[in-house]
Amino acid sequence: MDKTIASLLPYVQKPGRYTNQELNAEHKDWKNTLIKVALAFPDIYDVGMGHLGYKILYSLINARKDSLAERVYLPWIDLLDLMEENQIPLTSLESGAKLTEFDLLGFTLQYELSYSNILKTLDLAGIPRYSTDRRETDPLVMAGGPCAFNAEPLADFFDFVVLGEGEEVLGEILDVVSSIKRQGGSREELLSKIAALDGIYVPRLYEPIYDENGDFSGLKSTGTNAPAQINKRVIKDLNKSHFPEEFIVPFVEVVHDRTMVEVMRGCTRGCRFCQAGMIYRPIRERKPEILEEQVSKLVKSTGYEEISLSSLSSGDYSHIKPLLENLISEYQGCGITVSLPSLRVDSFSMELAKEIQKARKTGLTFAPEAGTQRLRDVINKNVTESDLKEVVQGAFKAGWYSIKLYFMIGLPTETQDDLDGIIKLAHEVIAWGREFGTGRRLPQVSISVASFVPKPHTPFQWMGQESLDSLREKQKYLRDKLRHPGIRFSYPRVEESFLEAVFSRGDRRLGKVLEKAVDLGCRFDSWSDCLRFDLWEKAFEECGIDPHYYANRTRNFSESLPWSHLSAGLERDFLLDEWKKAIEASVTEDCRWDKCSNCGVCPNLGVKNEIVGDNRHG
Amino acid sequence: MGKVIRFQFTKGSEVRFLSHLDLLRTMERALRRAKLPMAYSEGFSPRPVMAFGFALPVGVLSEAEYGDFEFSEIFDPQEFMTIYNKHLPKGLKVVEAERLPEGASSLMKKINTAKYEVLLPNKEAKELESRWQFLRGQDTFFVQRETKRGVRELDILPFLYDVSLQGSRHDGVIIECVCALGNEGNLRIEELGALLNFNPKEVIITRTGQLIKMNNHYGLPMGNRGLKWKES
Repeated sequence: MDKTIASLLPYVQKPGRYTNQELNAEHKDWKNTLIKVALAFPDIYDVGMGHLGYKILYSLINARKDSLAERVYLPWIDLLDLMEENQIPLTSLESGAKLTEFDLLGFTLQYELSYSNILKTLDLAGIPRYSTDRRETDPLVMAGGPCAFNAEPLADFFDFVVLGEGEEVLGEILDVVSSIKRQGGSREELLSKIAALDGIYVPRLYEPIYDENGDFSGLKSTGTNAPAQINKRVIKDLNKSHFPEEFIVPFVEVVHDRTMVEVMRGCTRGCRFCQAGMIYRPIRERKPEILEEQVSKLVKSTGYEEISLSSLSSGDYSHIKPLLENLISEYQGCGITVSLPSLRVDSFSMELAKEIQKARKTGLTFAPEAGTQRLRDVINKNVTESDLKEVVQGAFKAGWYSIKLYFMIGLPTETQDDLDGIIKLAHEVIAWGREFGTGRRLPQVSISVASFVPKPHTPFQWMGQESLDSLREKQKYLRDKLRHPGIRFSYPRVEESFLEAVFSRGDRRLGKVLEKAVDLGCRFDSWSDCLRFDLWEKAFEECGIDPHYYANRTRNFSESLPWSHLSAGLERDFLLDEWKKAIEASVTEDCRWDKCSNCGVCPNLGVKNEIVGDNRHG
Repeated sequence: MGKVIRFQFTKGSEVRFLSHLDLLRTMERALRRAKLPMAYSEGFSPRPVMAFGFALPVGVLSEAEYGDFEFSEIFDPQEFMTIYNKHLPKGLKVVEAERLPEGASSLMKKINTAKYEVLLPNKEAKELESRWQFLRGQDTFFVQRETKRGVRELDILPFLYDVSLQGSRHDGVIIECVCALGNEGNLRIEELGALLNFNPKEVIITRTGQLIKMNNHYGLPMGNRGLKWKES
């Protein structure tokens, strides 16, 4: 008997996540709309629905008369298995259309451990994994997002990759699709027209070259419209770029289930480990009056109880305080709270925190990232010992009792002192809590320690990741020393960070490993309970590929890097200088307030920092 | 009359897979969009003051869900219905609303009975009747009930009050079941399935009533339309 997804839903957990009649979901006329775009998120609904980028693209596509966008999420394992068993293809949420019926199928590359889910999505949709195997009627499979800046491990699976911000280039792509569809051109014609657009990378127009040692030594172009370097797309003026007036309001609980506005894009603090801070340059702030209008429309159309001012570092937004004050006075009366996704470690942030949480004193989260001043200078994390002390003591005095601190281990030049620094700080926070805490509750400190993953397009891109054994040892050391009733210590599995390191700086040879891993049963690798590292090891072994070559090997500065043709506008010399300064523990100023750090982005891409205010606060 | 409006609403197939918490969140967000003059709770994040009847099992449709909303002023129930319905997502609809007298007892306190309509595909009336006769001949019907505190043996037969045939269709029969609901005694949907020999995941179930059983009569949580009938 033919089963349908609907008939399986009573048998799965949280069936509400497969419901498609959420408020503000767009159900456009399938038959009479020329271009159909499926936006696939390679994880479950609950995770994908929190992604602001897709909210923007969904609304942007659906605002066009000639196009429609529908959402696709990977079903959770229970339904996934049932669908495979019953040979039910994956469909879009809105129309329940098969993915083969779309013109474009987009994936967002948010984290490396979602790659197996991309192949899983293609499999379940009945679309060939390899771009070269796709049929004339298959959609063009495209990808974008931060991991697109090294798309090489996935190169064989995508027809094209969009580099950088999508708002403008997506419109150009849709224009091309529209004209080709009207003329009745072939898939190949369409792809070659898209390839001619700025910011588009068509992997199959290039072939990798490996030298006699098997090291990557460059890409050779094999077709026209294959520039030697692809520059990312940047929105120059955020005030003029599209932003949705409605968000889909999910029925089930999802991450970031709230009104979100993007106060700015980019961050120039220059933390040397942070890929986002490098690839999203320059800083572009949105005018506060535009933000207030966006909030007002979203509050009205969603009924959300929370407003979040999102960006990489919202505390740096030049009008943050007046904006917060305005929003709070406007919305607090009707039970709507305002939040910031992250807080800097300084006194200004404390003022903001007090503003936001006038009455509620739950946890405060800070990210010193490293345990000593020396190591914080190495990574250019602009947090001083005295800032930390002042902020944490201030938080306890103001009534907070729970502090969460984020750190990393395995950073370049790390020594025993740096580990001990984390331990010392954790115990100090407890002591400050006892001394300055006002509540009846005992002070609580949560210490979360991630293993450092060197990322492409950062000053640490040449560096080998510390070995699994050594990272495990450090975790164990910290665990033993952080045993304390007031301290909660948590850390992701080192295997996760290892795989992330392999794929973040991988080349095209990893495609077949990924394929093998999926065939062996890997999926949902970013869910700790689902990660089957043993299967991954098997996949590497069967493909004859050494994962340590990618994760743990320190690259030569003269070596060709597999991602060097994918440009975020950063100069190699800047990254190299930053690496040298890192080793000397010498800091680089934020170009938002201080001198230009010569990263190259502004001259290379014809852009500049756009700050709405001029006052430095904090 | 007070500032509380009691209303009856329906839950259709579009929202049948929402959990009770999902439903509460959805109703609350619709309230915010509707900008109705609600009474808010005290505290840092004030919430509209609202209460509901007993949670509907996930997957079950309903014609008879109930809610109480407290307003900050005397508000016209008809106006509430008109405005609120404009802001509810597809599948949720208020069908009846009235002002509650001051001091009326809560939904959870009063409701003790549920009425379900079940469409049983591929079943014949005969088969069902013999099952009903079988159950009538039993003194007890024990099942394992999982609760937060563990599994326990429980006789669920006293929780099933009545089953009647509503009609036959080419693809099956429709039955109506009246059973215990609430804190005093409660028959779960899967237990109803065990009693009547059907798989609740494979049939369409609609809650058609949440009632107040008083001796031999059933009353409704709202309205006073003199609905009284004898227990069979």
